[in-house]
Amino acid sequence: MIAAPPRIRDLPPALLLQRFSTASVELDYGAAVVRVGSDLKTFVDHLQHVYGAFSLAEAPFADFHTEVRGGKGLRAYLRPQSRFLIDGIQPFDPFPGNQALPHFEWGVNWCFAQRFNQYVLLHAGSLALADRAVILAAPPGAGKSTLTAAMMLRGFRLLSDEFGVLCPRTGQLWPMLKPLALKNRSIDVIRDYADQAVLGPVYKGTRKGDVAHLAPGEESFDCRHRPARPRLVIFPGFRTGAMLSTRRLPGEEAFARLAFNSFNYGLLGQVSFDAVADVIESCPAFALEYSKLDEAIDAIRELLAESADNASET
Amino acid sequence: MSSRATADPALRCLLQLLGDVRPVSSLTLSDWDKTIRLARQARLLGVLASRLRARPDSLANVPAPVCGHLLSATAYSGHRVQMLRMELAALDAALPAEIPVVVLKGAAYVVQNLEMARGRLPNDVDLMVGRDQLQSAESALLAAGWAAELVDDYADRYYREWSHELPPMRFPGHPMEVDLHHTITPVTGRLRPDTVLLFADLQPVTAQRFLVLHPLDQILHAAVHLFQDSELLDNLRDLVDIDGLIRTHLHTAGDWQALLERAARHGLERPLWYALHYCREWLATAVPAALPLAAPPAVARRLMDWLFPRSSLPRIPDRRPGVSRRIAAQLGVARYQWLRMPPGLLLRHFAHKGRQALRWRPAGRHQPE
Repeated sequence: MIAAPPRIRDLPPALLLQRFSTASVELDYGAAVVRVGSDLKTFVDHLQHVYGAFSLAEAPFADFHTEVRGGKGLRAYLRPQSRFLIDGIQPFDPFPGNQALPHFEWGVNWCFAQRFNQYVLLHAGSLALADRAVILAAPPGAGKSTLTAAMMLRGFRLLSDEFGVLCPRTGQLWPMLKPLALKNRSIDVIRDYADQAVLGPVYKGTRKGDVAHLAPGEESFDCRHRPARPRLVIFPGFRTGAMLSTRRLPGEEAFARLAFNSFNYGLLGQVSFDAVADVIESCPAFALEYSKLDEAIDAIRELLAESADNASET
Repeated sequence: MSSRATADPALRCLLQLLGDVRPVSSLTLSDWDKTIRLARQARLLGVLASRLRARPDSLANVPAPVCGHLLSATAYSGHRVQMLRMELAALDAALPAEIPVVVLKGAAYVVQNLEMARGRLPNDVDLMVGRDQLQSAESALLAAGWAAELVDDYADRYYREWSHELPPMRFPGHPMEVDLHHTITPVTGRLRPDTVLLFADLQPVTAQRFLVLHPLDQILHAAVHLFQDSELLDNLRDLVDIDGLIRTHLHTAGDWQALLERAARHGLERPLWYALHYCREWLATAVPAALPLAAPPAVARRLMDWLFPRSSLPRIPDRRPGVSRRIAAQLGVARYQWLRMPPGLLLRHFAHKGRQALRWRPAGRHQPE
């Protein structure tokens, strides 16, 4: 038997930096493998922290070929910058050097949303218990990432905090397992929520405000090649002081809210229409209003169990 | 394929698959890693995908992660083709029925529903009308809401007097640009095909408003566009189009004879020679060995053999291109300018560009080079 490859957090930092700078490293997110080269020590240090549960994949094939590099010329020394490159092209303006990791995370999300049209890419968090998946869809600011993070910390397997990667051929959801990007107040909420939460550095004043990344757990990483079947669709809404409430949504409303909040719904045309319609047909959909994370998670657990019971009856 | 420029194994692999997808089973995952990147770089991933999908026995030998990229490229190309069809429908409604309108290149392949064009990524819509209809076609489009992309007075005049098309137009919010032509090469260029012949043999397409060029003229247009009216940069896909048109339209010795005669009537033997030469070398196109087509002088051929692979073939873009590729890119631009305008006009054009460069102003788009 071959020993499992070591996790990134267990590698000597110097060795890791050497791998990134002399060769390149493949990060296996489940749905996609990203090759990345970098000689920025800050980037590799931060990455080691929030990608701790990952191992270095020895993948002969990568879906994206990226680099994270320092600024050019004087910008290598004077207020250093970081640049994200895919296929030698720099799609965004440089970031400050110490924000290389969030820059990379956004870069990979962007590449994925642009190029991975073999899947319907819902703009949603996705998690699973065993192979029964919950889709959490909401516009930015509704607390989707916070709830996703809390659910992972309470034992759900994280598939993705940003994408519902729906395969139109099998109807399954694929993991696109990345560090969870928490913004502003939700950073402290999650830090206080669970002792085992591993959070990366807080990046102050990025274009999305303050950002910190929550490291995905080992179980989520080890199951990254295991797709799950959608069983429940939740449209969460956080409101301070709100009593927990769930409201079953009619299919057409759930369809519209899920489909039109997708990255490539229009591009895929009928393929995405059919795929989203299948999800709505097979999963109950609820609007969920909450103010306490634990209450919301318990409610989701119950709804998921009911949905699974119904599914096994039919 | 003995040239150094095509010695890279991944590139050989891509060219081989573009010629014939059947040897696909011999590729390892790490071969695919580079081949997919090169195909995407050349904007040919969708074409490769649709050819593989047309052969289920070959597709079965493609590893799953690679299939994902093929599916994605097929979906993206399908979307772009749909955008193109919508633009054509809008143009059809806007252009008076009495003006005969020709679609060129990518749009023509879509309108004719050619197998060879499956998976192609159309860039824009190229239309052609007779020069005497140009003004009324332009007015009709402007009246219907299309607007010329911002160009200065010089650029506007450049397009109208010395080019073969008007400044590009776009309907606000539409994803595709429309180029309205009145012939297929710049009016100041070295080579001037016979416009009368071109228009005399236009072909209708079943159930379509738009006309297309005679099949032989489609081949010659693609060849003259590639070798006369382009900077030769990153345009392997134009060669793949020519290969596809040849495989679609030329089957007998008589067909080839007709192509050569047509090339002679248009005076386009030189670009045709180059097109056939590289199609045969790179894409294994079945060009008959002993065609009575005069080869360019040895010096020109050697120059082109140095220049064309270095500028037209895709490369893995992780590093800056090498010196010879950068020189080739510059030479390609210089050659394009030289072929496009007579020396006097070229001097005038450069003088204007030089003066413009000395003045400070924000970078404008769509400046003719």
